[in-house]
Amino acid sequence: MINYVLLHGPRFIPKVANQRLYRIMKLIAFCLLIGSLHLSGKTRSQTITLDVTRTDIKQVFRAIENQTGYAVLYSDESVAGLQPLSINVNKMPLETFLKTLLKPALLDYQIDGTSIFIRPKRVPHRSSVMTTGNEPTEAPQHSVQGTVTTDNGQPLTGVTVALKGTSMATITDSQGNYRMVLPEGDGKLLFTAIGFKPVEKAVGSQSRIDVLLEPLVSDLDEVVIVGYGTQRKSDVTGAISVVTAKDMVSGATFNALQGLKGKAAGVNIFSNTGNPFGVNGSAPRVVIRGMNSINTSTNPLYVVDGVQMDNIQFVNPNDIERIEVLKDASATAIYGARGANGVILVTTKRGNSGAEGTVVSYNNWVSMGLLSKEIEVMDAYEFMEMEDRAFANIGKYPQGQTYLSNNGITELLVDRSDPLLFDEDGNPRYNTNWQREATRNAFSHSHQINIQHQGQKSSTGAFINYTDQQGILLNNYAKRASARFTNDAKPLDWLDINSNVLINHTWANSIDDVGGGLTARRTIWEMLPILPVKFPDGSWSSSQFTGNKLNLAQEAMTNPVHELTERVMNRYRTKLFGNLAFNLTLAEGLNLRTQFGVDANISSNKDYIPNNMINISTRGAAGISHSEQLYWQEETYLTYDKLFNSNHRLNATLGLSWSQSNTTGDNTGTVQDFENNYFSYHNLGAGTTPSAPSSSFSSWSMNSYFARASYALKEKYLATFTIRSDGSSRFGANNKYAFFPSAGLGWVVSSENFMAGVGWINQLKLRTSYGRTGNTEISPYSTLATMNSSTILLGGNRAAINQMSRMPNPDLEWEKTDQFDVGFDLIGFDNRVNLEVDYYYKKTSDLLLARPLPLTTGFSSVMDNIGRVDNSGIDFLLTTKNIEHENFRWETTLNLNYNENVIKKLGENNEDILTAPSFVGGNIILRVGHPLSSFYGYERLGTWGTDEANEAAKVNAVPGEAKRSAERKIIGNGMPKFTGSFVHKFYVGNVDLIVDLQFVAGVDTWQLHYHTSEDRTGYINGLKSILYDSWTETNQNTMVQQIRHRVYAGHNTTADSRWVSDGSYLRGNLVQLGYTFNDSKLQRHRIKGLRIHASVNNAFLIHSRDFKGYDPEGASNTDQFGQNVFFYQYPTARVFSIGVNFSF
Amino acid sequence: MNRIYVLFLFTILFTSCEKFLEEDSKSQIDAGNFFQSADDGFSAVNSLYRKGVPTFYNTAINSASNLMIGGFLAGLYDNQYKGEFVVRAQGLSVNAGLDNAQLQALWQSCYEVIVRNANFALKYLPEAAGLSDSERSQLMAEAKFFRALNYFYLVKMFGAVPLITDTYESLDDMYVRRSSEAKVYEQIINDLTDALANGGLADKPMPQNGFRVSRGSVAALLADVYVNMAGYPLNDVSRYEQAAELARSLINNSNYGLIQHQDRGEGSAYSMLRTSDNEKEYLYTIEYDEVIAPGGGYPMFCFPQESATWGEFPKYGMANLGYNPVSFLHQIYDKTNDLRYQEKQYFHSSYTQVNGPNKGTVRRFGTPIPYFWWEEKAALETGVSTKDKVHYRLAEMYLIAAEAIARSQGVTDEAAGYLAAIQSRANMNQSAEQIKVSLLALSTEEFIQEVWREKIREFMFEFKVWNDITRTRMYPEVNAEGKIDFVNLIGKTNVFGGTYTEDNLYLPICEQELQRNPTLAEPPL
Repeated sequence: MINYVLLHGPRFIPKVANQRLYRIMKLIAFCLLIGSLHLSGKTRSQTITLDVTRTDIKQVFRAIENQTGYAVLYSDESVAGLQPLSINVNKMPLETFLKTLLKPALLDYQIDGTSIFIRPKRVPHRSSVMTTGNEPTEAPQHSVQGTVTTDNGQPLTGVTVALKGTSMATITDSQGNYRMVLPEGDGKLLFTAIGFKPVEKAVGSQSRIDVLLEPLVSDLDEVVIVGYGTQRKSDVTGAISVVTAKDMVSGATFNALQGLKGKAAGVNIFSNTGNPFGVNGSAPRVVIRGMNSINTSTNPLYVVDGVQMDNIQFVNPNDIERIEVLKDASATAIYGARGANGVILVTTKRGNSGAEGTVVSYNNWVSMGLLSKEIEVMDAYEFMEMEDRAFANIGKYPQGQTYLSNNGITELLVDRSDPLLFDEDGNPRYNTNWQREATRNAFSHSHQINIQHQGQKSSTGAFINYTDQQGILLNNYAKRASARFTNDAKPLDWLDINSNVLINHTWANSIDDVGGGLTARRTIWEMLPILPVKFPDGSWSSSQFTGNKLNLAQEAMTNPVHELTERVMNRYRTKLFGNLAFNLTLAEGLNLRTQFGVDANISSNKDYIPNNMINISTRGAAGISHSEQLYWQEETYLTYDKLFNSNHRLNATLGLSWSQSNTTGDNTGTVQDFENNYFSYHNLGAGTTPSAPSSSFSSWSMNSYFARASYALKEKYLATFTIRSDGSSRFGANNKYAFFPSAGLGWVVSSENFMAGVGWINQLKLRTSYGRTGNTEISPYSTLATMNSSTILLGGNRAAINQMSRMPNPDLEWEKTDQFDVGFDLIGFDNRVNLEVDYYYKKTSDLLLARPLPLTTGFSSVMDNIGRVDNSGIDFLLTTKNIEHENFRWETTLNLNYNENVIKKLGENNEDILTAPSFVGGNIILRVGHPLSSFYGYERLGTWGTDEANEAAKVNAVPGEAKRSAERKIIGNGMPKFTGSFVHKFYVGNVDLIVDLQFVAGVDTWQLHYHTSEDRTGYINGLKSILYDSWTETNQNTMVQQIRHRVYAGHNTTADSRWVSDGSYLRGNLVQLGYTFNDSKLQRHRIKGLRIHASVNNAFLIHSRDFKGYDPEGASNTDQFGQNVFFYQYPTARVFSIGVNFSF
Repeated sequence: MNRIYVLFLFTILFTSCEKFLEEDSKSQIDAGNFFQSADDGFSAVNSLYRKGVPTFYNTAINSASNLMIGGFLAGLYDNQYKGEFVVRAQGLSVNAGLDNAQLQALWQSCYEVIVRNANFALKYLPEAAGLSDSERSQLMAEAKFFRALNYFYLVKMFGAVPLITDTYESLDDMYVRRSSEAKVYEQIINDLTDALANGGLADKPMPQNGFRVSRGSVAALLADVYVNMAGYPLNDVSRYEQAAELARSLINNSNYGLIQHQDRGEGSAYSMLRTSDNEKEYLYTIEYDEVIAPGGGYPMFCFPQESATWGEFPKYGMANLGYNPVSFLHQIYDKTNDLRYQEKQYFHSSYTQVNGPNKGTVRRFGTPIPYFWWEEKAALETGVSTKDKVHYRLAEMYLIAAEAIARSQGVTDEAAGYLAAIQSRANMNQSAEQIKVSLLALSTEEFIQEVWREKIREFMFEFKVWNDITRTRMYPEVNAEGKIDFVNLIGKTNVFGGTYTEDNLYLPICEQELQRNPTLAEPPL
């Protein structure tokens, strides 16, 4: 939706100076200029807004007088011979404007009372004069030439090139070329242009110096995208994080949200798996400013180019131009009932390329993912030693004694006599490292072609992408082909048409990524190291090895290489997403925009498990399921944007929205008993045991009305009021509509006169807001009493059954989040320090809670509005330009969020709510006074010592077993208190380096895998700590229980605090080294830009020593409270990549 | 082209549509408008067949079924793959907080079927459209049978519990106090006697009634209910007579009958019990089949866990002695004369492999282990158990009658005859008459203890023992001669070290439910 504005024809200021401004801005600027010229008011503004082409400098002086009220005094002589100027500036501070304007003309100024005096600059050396070409001087001379371009390869006209410390200067021609003759010596060239950052270059002995200028956009002049429109950042009163494509550099990544990780304060993104398809194809979890809902989704609302989108993860990250994250109520209230979890506005790339013409670019990357870390599980020798000790301890436990006596033996020894597995001395023949065998060096690549064409009245963009991302587990991949087409046309003065179509298809082979099954991500730890991947006869090994002699009695496990190689979990996702918008200019400043958008998703899952996978399926099991989702929306709104009297700026929006989503699904059910594995899922009729098929339907709709008014007085005092009224089908008949208001206030303190003396502050704005947003994300039909229909076995046949599905609640309404925000934006120290700090307090009440009911009602819960959750915290963003040397620049961004979450009230009796995973005595608990996602289990106090045998017996334990607290308690917290990133950017000549560090703190990780990897011994392979740290008569001061054999002697395992580790970490998220080729050399080949880069993702990870998994950030189920709780993880990769960005 | 025209076109978007926000759930029927036909009536009642107590037979190989909990609480059975709950049940340290999830499942599944299914059906069936009178009364009787069955388990497991006879369609009156056991039993009896009197149910074995509840099913449950009422905690001994009466009515009805031996091997009554789903002895069974309702892991409860590595049962890949009698309990059988104890009847002590690389290998188990659930086809070919689970069979009515008559009238010829019928079927050397003679010589107390012993023998793998222990408060132990005697339960210590107190007679109500309904802490009404 960005409408770039283009100016044509020769002018002083560079052609592309305004490329980041929007059409609306241009109009405003124009109005402002016209208004100023005619009104000649005496109000004194400290900023200048001007858009002129080939204008005499005297005209410019007049505009200054009009806008500022100062009288401009100058001599005609001093301005004689100056070339006409083209200028486009927006709210540039007066002094900055004067400096920029006058410096190239070798003029100086002085402000005195109500007057500005213009006079020639005093120049130390009068030996040279300003030159526009090549003039001889007496000293030894040296000629330098070159081209000045923008960062996207456009030549820049009218750039002043001056020898620093002298009056020697020239300007670039229409091709961006310049040439100067300089005295010999260590001079420096200074390249300046209005709207661009100045650049200094040492001359030395070079004869050619090409320069690339970056647009200078003062933060407060930036435009941000807000819901239903844009606002100048300077006028914004809400808390909005902006992340542009440039900041979203993320190396080799498949997922659209990966690049946002750590870039926006208050936005937590949990990746949770190394599976490129994601956990069950879900997006990474995104939580903005803490979780504020219990039973409904905590996902933010995604709006792509104005259209709400599901499955954002399947969008090609290369298509994203920028992301705005709306966080506080002033920003999100315009989205009313869907705004409570925050809103992520995604703007995609379009055809506007800056200048008329066509730019074609090609970007690619090629990557190699390597297993980042190997978990220390026992090798074959350690495993056998563990088994020996486990067998030796059998008689120590009651269950073991029973076993021995039932079998009439006094001890059991490990049988090492099978020649297939052991040599003559009983040593294992195989020592298989299953983590190595089941993983690979994953080779991935991505290719993107962008064609962006800018014509006079229209622009077109075509973007195609192919990405093949391989997971490091064998046979696991996700591939995507994506095509996108955009068109922005202006067929009539008063009509703009914007359209956008995206089609993409993702196909993947996933793995079993959730739950507790004995599948690959678990068996790569647990599989016996004494078994080979395949036996010499070519058969796959399994833990139920039938050599007939091995008496280790292991848990039934399919070998992970076998599973990954032959199990099929194909996933297909097709997305068709598009929108068409008409923008009518009804009058000056008054626009009507109407936009129709569609997000259609078709997905299918196709699975086959061969008939030889013990404990997964031994019958052959195939199934196919589909779902189709069609979302549409129609939104129409009026926007009025006008400056009155140069002091009062009004930006108002009024609109309405209709939207609907329909989802249908069908599932063949699992067909079992395939005689052979030939068909996979392609012939379900070949399986002899079908199960009941199923299908589903669900639909919701919303009808909304919204309005927003933004008012700025004298560019200093800002206010925004927003209201939205939402009607949703999902709510009870008595509460279909709700109302969401918000108000935001801002004060640009730096524009006050009393701040004039505070030189180090460039901009300072205070903001505060308060408002209400909602959450509707419950399943449709949650308020209705309906019948669940299915079938059962009765009399040998299927018989229909019906059962009341839920308790009705016609009074159900919105969940309400009231949010208060106060913050400031500070730019200081010559624009080198940028600090944004916000404090927020969110109170979510009337929670849409599956309110626990007495189970004697026949129901376990009813959807009700009850309970309250509070979040409060601080967002902190500090960007500093630490070093700005000509050849060396260093910038850092420190991004921090601190969030405190607490449950204030639950159901009528404040009942605890225990949620999944319900795992060997452990749960996630929701309890008043504690944060959401608290871990609930026993505390492990140690192990029972031999001198405590009597005490141990009271709890049916013997020395060597775990000693735990009597009651369960809260033993950890899965949502981090601190999250953030620390990003460094270095530029040395043409080389750039990004070091992106990401961290979380104040969080725990619950490693449920300790259940089998440490506590349930003898039965599977596990952590080395079993062998080296476990309880023995001589090592009693330990947390690790005595080794015993689970089958013969039982086990003792309960989810307790031994399994909880500190979940804090510091991750080397990305290190990227880039090199941008010198443009002038490339221009000979008509190449506009060329950059190559090399990256390492997940370069390092520092975590607690107690953490024994791949990555402390993880989740084994899709339940929203299960963050940082997992039972075996997808192994994480360290990814090395190289790439090229190329445009011509 | 004029912008006014275009603007006019857009105004259409501002028009409103009344129905836009209405919900229409296409995959679910509106509950308020449900009973429209006979099929609706049947489908509402059909759901009762596979919810609540019937689900207590569900199992996975590496865990135990809910019905097995009784055997673990009695300390008479062990599970080789002891989950945490089994250990605590045997040690009598079951705790409302720790064992929350399992206790909640027991409680919740009974109440769900009572309130959401049975009460719902019973509330609307009287008015439901499309049903004939006989269909209506049959369905009402079935619903009452299942409501009674579930309340019976609740009152046995938890003692005094909330008594709810209506369905919930709003949030009113949710916090219901517990009712005394007497009141719960009263409700159970009302339902069952009404079902018997007015249900018009077919008087035949359930399998012959299309696997729908028959008069026999209701009478069997009611007889069991009466025997329990006559014992602890109500000790309403007048109920023995009613129990005897009902049991007698089934025994003497020729539509029902004990399975007779064809031979003493695979044709024995006990083998038929293991392999056949359709016998005149079956009063109430839970169906299983290969496709719609597979029967779970039972066949693999017949092998020790180590057997998974034999290569014999590749379709299962896992085995577990999930419900294995403790060794002293074996002494309850006459090892030479009791057919049930013979190889491949209720137990087996060795297995010869027929599959895979170890074909022909003989596996010996030492102490005999369960054979009761062995299904050859499931274990060796399909990996799917299809055998129905028999919840009430006529043999139990014989033993109920024998005990109830002895209690109310002393050791009569009739009582001795009933016990002898069951014992003689198992006895390879003595006829029913011979046995009866020796039984008649017993004192009432001795006779009753012999009934209890017989019940343990006959129903070794049918999950009856904890019910009998709690209603009699007598516990089996080995006496000096190596025979099983019964002693007072309270104060007795089981082989796992748990000592019984009054507290162990009931399961605690889970922590969650205590929070959700604070009135549960108040004394029963």
